[in-house]
Amino acid sequence: MIKDMKGLAERVVGQLHNRGVDYGDARVENTDLENLTFRKQRLAEAELQEGRGVGVRVLFKGCWGFASCSCFDSDVVESTVDRAVEIAKAGAGVMAGSVSLSQETPAIGHYEGPCQKNPFEIPRSEKLDLLARAADIMHTSPLINMSLSRLRFERRRRAFSNTEGTLVSSDLVFTMPDITAYAVLDDDMQSRGFQEGARIAGWEWVEEADLIFWAEKAREEAIMKVKAPEGSSGVMDLVLDGTHLSLTMHESVGHPTESDRVLGWEASMAGRTFLNIDDQEKLKYGSEIVNFIADNTMPYGVASWGWDDDGVPGQKWYTIKDGIFQQFGSVRETALLVNRKHSTGCCRAQDFASFPINRQPNFYLEPGEEQLTPDDLISEVEKGVYIEGRGSFSIDQRRINFQFGGDMFWEIRNGKKVQPLKKVIYRSKTRDFWGSCDGISDKRFFRTMGLLTCGKGEPVQGARMTHGASTSRFRNIEVGRGAE
Amino acid sequence: MTREELLEVIEAVLEKASVPDVVATLTEERVAAVRFGQNRITQNMDTFERKLRITLGDGERKTVYSTHRIDVDAIPEILDKAMEMLKTASPDPEYMSPVNAGQVYPMIESWDRVTAEANPQGRTEAAGKAIVTARMHGMEAAGLVGMTYSNTAMGTSTGNLAHHRSTEAFMRLTIDRGKPSSFRVISAEAWKDLAVDEAISEVAAEVEADENQRELEPGEYRLIFEPQAVSNFIPYIAWHMNARPADEGLTVFSGRQDKSVTGDNFTMSSEVNGFLKGIPFNEEGLASKDVVWIDCGRLVNQPCTRYWASETGREPLFIPETLAIGGGSGSTEDLIRSTPGKALLFRRFWYIRFVDQKELSLTGMTRDGVFLVENGKIVHPLKDFRWNWKPLDLFSKIEKLGTRERKYHYSVPPMVIGPTVL
Repeated sequence: MIKDMKGLAERVVGQLHNRGVDYGDARVENTDLENLTFRKQRLAEAELQEGRGVGVRVLFKGCWGFASCSCFDSDVVESTVDRAVEIAKAGAGVMAGSVSLSQETPAIGHYEGPCQKNPFEIPRSEKLDLLARAADIMHTSPLINMSLSRLRFERRRRAFSNTEGTLVSSDLVFTMPDITAYAVLDDDMQSRGFQEGARIAGWEWVEEADLIFWAEKAREEAIMKVKAPEGSSGVMDLVLDGTHLSLTMHESVGHPTESDRVLGWEASMAGRTFLNIDDQEKLKYGSEIVNFIADNTMPYGVASWGWDDDGVPGQKWYTIKDGIFQQFGSVRETALLVNRKHSTGCCRAQDFASFPINRQPNFYLEPGEEQLTPDDLISEVEKGVYIEGRGSFSIDQRRINFQFGGDMFWEIRNGKKVQPLKKVIYRSKTRDFWGSCDGISDKRFFRTMGLLTCGKGEPVQGARMTHGASTSRFRNIEVGRGAE
Repeated sequence: MTREELLEVIEAVLEKASVPDVVATLTEERVAAVRFGQNRITQNMDTFERKLRITLGDGERKTVYSTHRIDVDAIPEILDKAMEMLKTASPDPEYMSPVNAGQVYPMIESWDRVTAEANPQGRTEAAGKAIVTARMHGMEAAGLVGMTYSNTAMGTSTGNLAHHRSTEAFMRLTIDRGKPSSFRVISAEAWKDLAVDEAISEVAAEVEADENQRELEPGEYRLIFEPQAVSNFIPYIAWHMNARPADEGLTVFSGRQDKSVTGDNFTMSSEVNGFLKGIPFNEEGLASKDVVWIDCGRLVNQPCTRYWASETGREPLFIPETLAIGGGSGSTEDLIRSTPGKALLFRRFWYIRFVDQKELSLTGMTRDGVFLVENGKIVHPLKDFRWNWKPLDLFSKIEKLGTRERKYHYSVPPMVIGPTVL
């Protein structure tokens, strides 16, 4: 199939050459999706989706034109090429174009994401048995009023070609196990769930995630949470695990360091950033132990696609080094505008029908070099909260002022975890928060979260990326209860 | 495809399926739009997608199969794949056959041929006007302008067959000059009804008024919400209204059917073919209808699946994409003039998220304009700030409602909320 898709991409590029565009590319995609969801102890959704289509992007006198179709029929694809060219020419007729792409070396190749056990070849009965067992375990307590158990598998095959000679393809399998238990007691409801999300991997990720273990853990901790007292308010220390920090870093580091935001291209939707172009390699973003590494080559990271939707290869770079902001994640169109010669390879579209835009890469907080455990971090906290997993999250459009919750909370008193809590939120400002980080545990405690649904752009597109961290400590953060 | 061509595919699916229960939907969607930012056009697109969705059921099990392959000759092969999925599914204790025959689908006039066939010229020029206006004022424009159409045919093995199509023209516009900014969203069924020029000039003027922002002083204020700000809360209420999660103790509406959930001057309803245009059927083929959800503060109806309706004796209901909040008379400016003492005026909110789902408590930020109002006059703009509110509490102390405005699929009035400590 990949060979045929590459052939189609090449034919589109041939048609673009004949139409005299300044630049053009074709993305040919074929996607198979299987989604199985248990609501309580019942199979509520069993769905297969088969998607295919072509996206054609052209530049004419510095103006973009993009069109797509949801089939591979040659006559429909050629009329889609014509539409893309017509749109670019219409743009050029209204105002002068300004698009200038960074020079990148044309690429030829194929990338296969890691997948040891093809999930589409695992018998469906095995998948349903696993979900049913997990649901049964969660509902052994009458306090669990609701549960969701899910398996989602997606195989995405992509071929990309452009008028500069790039012809690449990839074959990626995304696997996402998920489980959440909801406990109801008196007039309250609290939930707890699996937090590590999706990976580019096969059935082996379902095995490693261990939903049976998580079903018990989710049940017990949801009950613990619904019975727990609410946390106190005030300024205190936080110890945050990797699955929690994955979301905090996504909002307060990933989005502010996107190049399209500093240029104002997201001003009407996702927003701008507090950063300026001149802040690169200068601005203090966090304490000296804070190092963020962007890595679109990490093996199971859900943004590791081989090449992005500009045809630029996956790369690895420091976003923040020794607490200093290094550079924006960029695409070919923005690289020169943020004073870089080359794109970092962050151009991705939701699917063939979406115009590719600047997205966050996979990135993570580098683990500490010294041997340090989460308990070591907790032992030096007089008053604080230990938080695991994702909860409520909100940040202003310039990515400064944020408020986060979590999935599980523990009160820390005099160096020890003493009791579970519920309804904890904390508020801070981006640079203050990362500046207050004074301890990062070592790589043994590194956890990741693969996100499939980061919304950005207009029309809104979902994008995927993986973040990670080892448990870390933050001093003197404002903690409270959201509704206060 | 024409109505007849779409229905031909649906009828072929219904005829060739070998199981008793089938629902098939064929949808075409086109999005043609120009995106702009930093006073330049950053995207110019025209996307098209055609998708077939087949739900098969054998009386015990049910599965869904979707594909982009649309071809009458390919239907046997598509059905084979869907059947393969069905055979491996586990029995569903909540199994429901397709909706009964004789569904009466409302006729909804929401299609404009000129809008559906629009070429790129009009939307590109609209983006150009926003950019030129912003440049003239030393500002930057960003947003999206364009149209969508959808064209859908649906059939059930119980004998229902229907077709619906709609168009929508829209513009989302932000203009800013550093921190001062303003925003507007406008939409209409037809491109010709989209007041682009008016929106651009109003937004640019509002940016001027947002200069010299000051910090909010803690204190007690009335809150004046522009229609856009009200509309930002509505989905969070709607998502939690479903009957079953409420009955299971999961939402703020648990045990509150027929009880007060807001003040008695708050009414929320759905309309199918009025000022707002909804959809005539849902993906199961159930006919839509006008419904009042919250009547003068009382929760009188809740969206309810057919299964839960059969278990609880309720009527199966769904939100047909539209929600209307009851209004009064007068513009936002009239409300400002008539508000005594200290108040805050909000244009819109940003990044609203649940803090606690059971309480329906939310957090979010102000965005694109928040102003101090004293004795009926705007005094000065304020810097954006974070809030934590419960919308049902806010809507329990509405003091005044203005004239409703359309905000996409919502119809919302400006409103004044009674004194609130910030």
